[in-house]
Amino acid sequence: MDTQALWLTLRLALTTTALLLAVALPVAWWIASGAGAARALVQAIVALPLVLPPTVLGFYLLVALGPLTAPGRLIIRALGHPLAFSFSGLVVGSVLYSLPFAVQPLVAGFRAVDPALLEVAATLGASPLRAFRTITLPLAKPSVVTAAVLSFTHTVGEFGVVLMIGGNIPGATRTLSIALYDQVQDFNYAAANRTAGVLLAFSLLTLVAIYWRGSARRSLLG
Amino acid sequence: MLKPLAPRHSVRIRHRIGPLQLDVDFELKQRWTILFGPSGSGKTTILRAIAGLLKPDHARIVSTVCPGTDQERRFTFVDTDAGIFLPARRRVVRIAPQQPALFPNMSVLENMKYGMGLFVRDATEEEARDRGIGELLARFHIAHLAEKDPNGLSGGEAQRVNLARAVASGGRLLMLDEPFSGLDMNLKDDFIASLLQRQADPRNGQLLSVTHDVAEAFQLSAEVIKIADGKVVAQGPAEVVLAEERARLLKQLQP
Repeated sequence: MDTQALWLTLRLALTTTALLLAVALPVAWWIASGAGAARALVQAIVALPLVLPPTVLGFYLLVALGPLTAPGRLIIRALGHPLAFSFSGLVVGSVLYSLPFAVQPLVAGFRAVDPALLEVAATLGASPLRAFRTITLPLAKPSVVTAAVLSFTHTVGEFGVVLMIGGNIPGATRTLSIALYDQVQDFNYAAANRTAGVLLAFSLLTLVAIYWRGSARRSLLG
Repeated sequence: MLKPLAPRHSVRIRHRIGPLQLDVDFELKQRWTILFGPSGSGKTTILRAIAGLLKPDHARIVSTVCPGTDQERRFTFVDTDAGIFLPARRRVVRIAPQQPALFPNMSVLENMKYGMGLFVRDATEEEARDRGIGELLARFHIAHLAEKDPNGLSGGEAQRVNLARAVASGGRLLMLDEPFSGLDMNLKDDFIASLLQRQADPRNGQLLSVTHDVAEAFQLSAEVIKIADGKVVAQGPAEVVLAEERARLLKQLQP
């Protein structure tokens, strides 16, 4: 069992989940609080990682973060090294890759809050932010939990993006899924079996936990 | 000390909702005004437009504080010609919708405090607020429900909390949409008495309530604005405006 890869995977999933919630909460709130072409476009862009092969996303990120583009050169100059093939690069890729898994449940949860409640809050003098904080967010709590759990597990399970943008550097970018791939390449099926078992058990347990929370199920489907 | 003067509101709305063309122009002159009309005549839409919960096609709604004095101040809620639209939260207008929309994640007491919490500056004010809430809880017969979760309330209880919450935070204009439907007779009489008492104090702003119940309109001794098909057909005392409805009702009651 590659414990270094296990810790790296957990660190990556935790960092990604925290960043994703910070990004997804305002985005989902904006999407859920109205309609129109701009919102449809943002929602489509957010959902893209669901349908794109992860390698496509990884490829674009590799190019975008590398010395071929202006933002990439800026990052290289600021950090002294390219984002690609580093833990930070991996985090950026993971956030984008798991974005729909955080945003979709939140949008569904926010949309399920009765608009009449927000209207009354407004007539009682509440700003949109106060109404969000005191009414929408508490009522959508199951969706927030779902979003966090899905982001975490999806990050644990990613492979294509990590391979493209991170490569396979032990301690920096070598996650469990990559380690598994390596073990199979080396015909080390016993080790591969243990790694695969850990990933399978973890994913299954998480999903059981989500479905157990009856209320979270609705937002998963939404 | 100056005699406190109640704010006044003038309302002009033209708005299309489905098949109904709403076109009204009236002024709230009395402490308590009733919008009377059959369902579907546009009463709720008028309340929503005044509260700022919908953007009318064409409207001018103005709230005047301390009218006729040198402290007179005017707040334009909406003026479509001038491109003014004051958001609902800045209008200081309270509304109790027909369907009680209680915040399910808060207790009854927290619901009541939601609109008033921001105005407390010190301990004295907090004490005054808590005393006010205590009185309201008693007056609306909901003191025993204070710590309860709104999901566990009956329809009548929820309606009482809905009204109490709107009344609790004051405002220039209090709007109650079919406030007494779903309440039993004794409670209804109690509320009407306490609302009349409240309206006797001009500091409490104006009250606009909606009903389609003739008996209720008479009981409230308020000015009546009669609405039909989105238009104001009459405005004045109940005895004059609703004479026809009263005669019809009395005829029905005869054995």
